[in-house]
Amino acid sequence: MSGAASFLALAGRRIAASLLLLVGASFLIYFTIRSAPGDAVDAITPMGTPPEIKEKLAAEFGLDQGVLGGYGVWLSRSATGDFGESLVFAPGQTVMEVAGPAFEKTLLLSGGALFATVVLSILLALLLGEPSARQQGLTGALYFITSAPGFVSAVVFSAAVNAGVQRFVEQAGHETPAWYPIPIYSDSIVPYFFAGFVLVMGDGLLMDTFNAVRAEILGVRGAQFISAVRARGASVTPHLWLNLAIPIFSAFVSRLPVVLGGVVIVEYVFTLDGAGYLLLEASKQRDFPVVVGLSVLFTLAVIVVGLLSDVARSVIDQREVARDG
Amino acid sequence: MSKRLLRVLSAFLLLTSLASSAAAQQVFRYPEDTRPSSLLPFFAEDMSAVRMCELIFDSLVVQNKRGDFEGGLAKSWTVDADQGGIKFVLREGVKWHDGEAFTAEDVVFTIQAAQDPKTLFNSKSKFNFIREVSAQGQYGVYVAFDRPVPEAEKRFLFKILPKHGFPDTAISRKDKFAREPLGTGPYKVKKGGYSLRSIALEVNGDYWSTPKVSEVLMQHTPDKSAQINLLQYSGGKAGVQAVIFLPPKNIPLFENSDSVVLEPYHTVSWWYMAYNHENKALADKAVRQAMALAIDRQELLEAHLGRGDILSGPFTESSPFYNFQVEPTGLELERANQLLDGAGWARKGDTRAKGKVKLDFEFVMDKELASNQALFLGIQAQLKKVGITVRPNYVDHAKYRDQVFTRRKFDLTLNIWSFEEVEDVYPLFHSKGVMNFIGYNNADVDTMLDTAKATKDYKKYKEQMKQLHAVLAQDLPYFFLWSLDIYSGISKKMKGVYIQPYYYFSSFPEWELSP
Repeated sequence: MSGAASFLALAGRRIAASLLLLVGASFLIYFTIRSAPGDAVDAITPMGTPPEIKEKLAAEFGLDQGVLGGYGVWLSRSATGDFGESLVFAPGQTVMEVAGPAFEKTLLLSGGALFATVVLSILLALLLGEPSARQQGLTGALYFITSAPGFVSAVVFSAAVNAGVQRFVEQAGHETPAWYPIPIYSDSIVPYFFAGFVLVMGDGLLMDTFNAVRAEILGVRGAQFISAVRARGASVTPHLWLNLAIPIFSAFVSRLPVVLGGVVIVEYVFTLDGAGYLLLEASKQRDFPVVVGLSVLFTLAVIVVGLLSDVARSVIDQREVARDG
Repeated sequence: MSKRLLRVLSAFLLLTSLASSAAAQQVFRYPEDTRPSSLLPFFAEDMSAVRMCELIFDSLVVQNKRGDFEGGLAKSWTVDADQGGIKFVLREGVKWHDGEAFTAEDVVFTIQAAQDPKTLFNSKSKFNFIREVSAQGQYGVYVAFDRPVPEAEKRFLFKILPKHGFPDTAISRKDKFAREPLGTGPYKVKKGGYSLRSIALEVNGDYWSTPKVSEVLMQHTPDKSAQINLLQYSGGKAGVQAVIFLPPKNIPLFENSDSVVLEPYHTVSWWYMAYNHENKALADKAVRQAMALAIDRQELLEAHLGRGDILSGPFTESSPFYNFQVEPTGLELERANQLLDGAGWARKGDTRAKGKVKLDFEFVMDKELASNQALFLGIQAQLKKVGITVRPNYVDHAKYRDQVFTRRKFDLTLNIWSFEEVEDVYPLFHSKGVMNFIGYNNADVDTMLDTAKATKDYKKYKEQMKQLHAVLAQDLPYFFLWSLDIYSGISKKMKGVYIQPYYYFSSFPEWELSP
């Protein structure tokens, strides 16, 4: 089989597996939210609502269908890109109208935070080089600071910034900034920077990524082929980065689900209108089309990035084989 | 602070201020615990939506600061001598937010839409008393009732909708009007002002009075500590000017504040502990009375919720129906034990029992109820002293509604009832009441409620309600707990503040925001 054919076969298998994963995940989420006590009708009708109104609403919301039947209808519609309409959170709007823009913001926030984490990790790894006793104080402190849960980091950060700005303003006679206090009430991008900072610094993400990246860098630097390149008098830099690209990209991909999970809490604290906030609110209101639609989008994001990682790995491997061969 | 640090911070503040200049406008900002369910008044099912609709829409009649009813969209009204109908004369020159003129046809449309069988909303029954509505010229409306209605004007606090805003009288909660409302009220939704998490309003230049605040921004902020943080630093450009409800534990934070004033306001709401009367042990009046005598309400209230009034019946002390002759019971452990002994509930270990039936109950609590865990632990410790065991079951809000209100799978629960302008307890305590989720069935109470419902004379009705209060205080379908003193935290920059019970923002056009 030629290289291209094997690559296509691999890609086909990965896409098929991803689709299966997507269907399985969507069924689990659909089943869980539909089986949970209380439904969208309960969420919007106060006690004493006449039963006939509840029944009509249930029919209007598609809750009169069983879980399996309902899932079948949802699956056939979503195969055409139609995730249905929001029931409670934004009645009358399609799931994509509500979730699309929110998801974009969350993806940008998560991707940006993760990108910053990886860049910071590379810089730290290059700066610190091999682990040594002298670094223990610094790395220990960094571990301590960055290992706090995201929620704690967010709350402490907000309180510290607010108190700090107030003190500073009083001392320096400076006018208060437009973004003060946190969480702010505007459509400015500043809270997104703050949220990104907390994502990078919370949940141990930075140090975990730093450790992985440093291990890869040290591993590649000490590899035999690098010694061989050096012996030939050629530049090792292209070889170094070519061999580091995949592990670093893998570090990025493998941490994406963690960041997407953390973003729910961070959006909550910083009052951002992203998908994390929407997912939490829609779950509370049992708005199952929004919850399932968003969950599928989250799963899809992780799968797509994983696929890209595989494709990149495959392309680089082919180039390596072609060059060495 | 070192000079270098000051310089670095100055540069940072300057840079970030430039990045968020949009936040520097003068607007009235306030956070809400819940996101408004809809801006279509029929479907405004939570208080955040009710408050928002108060700013966008008008009603025919409004309640002023003294509690009297006066004209809103109606200039005046005349009730028929037999109380069988009412004629409204409407205010002329009023415009909808899109510039169209407001006329009698809009009032007729609103009532017809509410009564359309295809318009499904929870408070539909509020329109049941209307038999017919008709326009009399451009600015006259006559509403005929299906029975005599005392103080009929009180029933016309509902918001008026524009006829031209809908294709017909069958209105769906999915209508885009719920996001793009069209009212006659003092504020309208700004272009692009309706978003996932916030709603921005601007003043309605055509309003018949002149609202003093030019913009309003509501942002959904479910985290109460974030709300408090925003109020604490309300001097900041992005701070909030009001927090609607301050949790009692946060009140001391603002008691001597330079920037925030505590504004008390009245809500027609009271707390109760509900007994499930389908439980054999709780169907025994002696058990209910003993529990009431074993729980120290004053201690629980002061320890966990702050200030309020201990109640003896199903009305707040400010209600015309509250019977002050009925004193709230106090802590009487000895009498509680006597009652249980007398009813044959003998101590067997920690828990009393009669035959195979034990005084061991599941106490279902809504996680969203303020101080739910602390209150439960207090009650649990107090009831233990008389040999009654309670086991907690904390559930999220949606599950609570399903388990307690729909499936009635509970023994005891704690909750709050809130009322609008009419304190109607018929649905709560009549055996056929739609909100009687406790399975309460007392023929005498049913008769009293039926008689009161048919009464046309308000004075008589008031007396009947006071009698009912006395009977319920004895029979204890619920253990009536307390009504809280509610406080809003308002920035001292706000002047002319008056908070309307229930609707909150009715007098908002008179509020002023000083720079």
